[in-house]
Amino acid sequence: MYRNKKTGIIGIIITIIILILVVILSNIDVEKMSYIENAFNAFVMPIQNGLTYLKNKIEGNNSFFTDISKLQEENEELKKKNSELEQSLRELEIIKSENETLKEYVNLKDKYQNYQTIPAYIINKDITNYNETIVINVGEKDGIHPNMTVIADQGLVGHVISTTQTTAKVQTIIDTASSVSSSITTSREAIIVTGTLDKASTLKATYIPADATILENDKVETSGIGGIYPKGIPIGTITEIIDTKNITDRYAYVKTAVDFKKLETVLVIKND
Amino acid sequence: MKKFLSIIGLIITFFIIYFLQANFFTWFNISGIMPNLFVMFILFIGLFIGKKIGFALGIILGIYLDLLTGKSVGISGLMLGVIGLAGEYLDKNFPKDSRVTMILMTIGATVFYELGEYIFQVLKWNIQVEIFPFIKILLVEIIYNIVLLIILYPLIQKTGNYLEKLFKKKAVLTKYF
Repeated sequence: MYRNKKTGIIGIIITIIILILVVILSNIDVEKMSYIENAFNAFVMPIQNGLTYLKNKIEGNNSFFTDISKLQEENEELKKKNSELEQSLRELEIIKSENETLKEYVNLKDKYQNYQTIPAYIINKDITNYNETIVINVGEKDGIHPNMTVIADQGLVGHVISTTQTTAKVQTIIDTASSVSSSITTSREAIIVTGTLDKASTLKATYIPADATILENDKVETSGIGGIYPKGIPIGTITEIIDTKNITDRYAYVKTAVDFKKLETVLVIKND
Repeated sequence: MKKFLSIIGLIITFFIIYFLQANFFTWFNISGIMPNLFVMFILFIGLFIGKKIGFALGIILGIYLDLLTGKSVGISGLMLGVIGLAGEYLDKNFPKDSRVTMILMTIGATVFYELGEYIFQVLKWNIQVEIFPFIKILLVEIIYNIVLLIILYPLIQKTGNYLEKLFKKKAVLTKYF
């Protein structure tokens, strides 16, 4: 052997140390590493922000040669107004269709009014095929913290998993690691919806109670259990029910209310 | 000095790849499935420059990727680090001036990386295993990577040979002895 034995041992030791470091790092929550993320983001996010901005210009959804700051301000205001209008409309529809739970929804409406929301737009999507995380352009300095709920005009998007000063990473509900405690609006049955690899914008509803009556086109919303998502945020509609030999194993597919492919702007619900 | 500039060049290339993945390939994809240029890039470094730089860059850039968009930190670093490390061993056993062996190595590296990432996710987040959707995504990703490799092959060879001369002066043709 031409290799020095000592060098080999040093190499092995270095490899073991790096491996241990990687294992430790992999077990640290991303949210606890925001200071490192801050530094790393400083390199990439300004350019990514610029590229997203440029992309928006090319797509023609803004005027490039006009007063940008004024338009941005106006745009933010309109976005907020639009979301508020959509939210009011949604609440009205719920109240109309659900007489039995009218009182509950009035309470919910009150609850929503108390929520402070922060508008944001998506500046980065996950670069792999197996994760469904997004990065939004608001962060700690805007009052964003991990576990805050993120919604869009149509419904639930996900929750914040980590933040930097200017950005926040959001785990969407279509991510395979996401699991949301929810309920069917008509029967009030509790179910769990998880992300799937199979189809984009489709969730899998499991833990359906054996005696529950679920039908296609039933609406699914957050149940409020779990401590992250507030109650009553629309998640989607049941599109297919798969019956199995054992009724407790049956599951259903839920089409998300939000079109994640076209998602560009979101609202973050401030907890406090 | 040349070596230092080359490393800087590789880091710049990494960022170009990152912006391509985050912008271009989110639009230019095959039924929503993107290629994985990072795997090809680190394999390329391991093959042409050597295991030390391949391993180091794999670990650092992988962790960086995890911090930017991942749900947990470390696994991409580990997988890319191993690919960088394996690059040199593959170089000693297979001719990298053959397009076919390069394609086979890319397939192996892609399978290794994605399988590792997926198994880690299943274990860490306790998610339900979806074998067929996973295989479908993996196959499309492999095909996409192969297509890109074929397109980029002349550039990879030219740049690779230059870097190999620069970093592996003493190791020329040792595999033939």
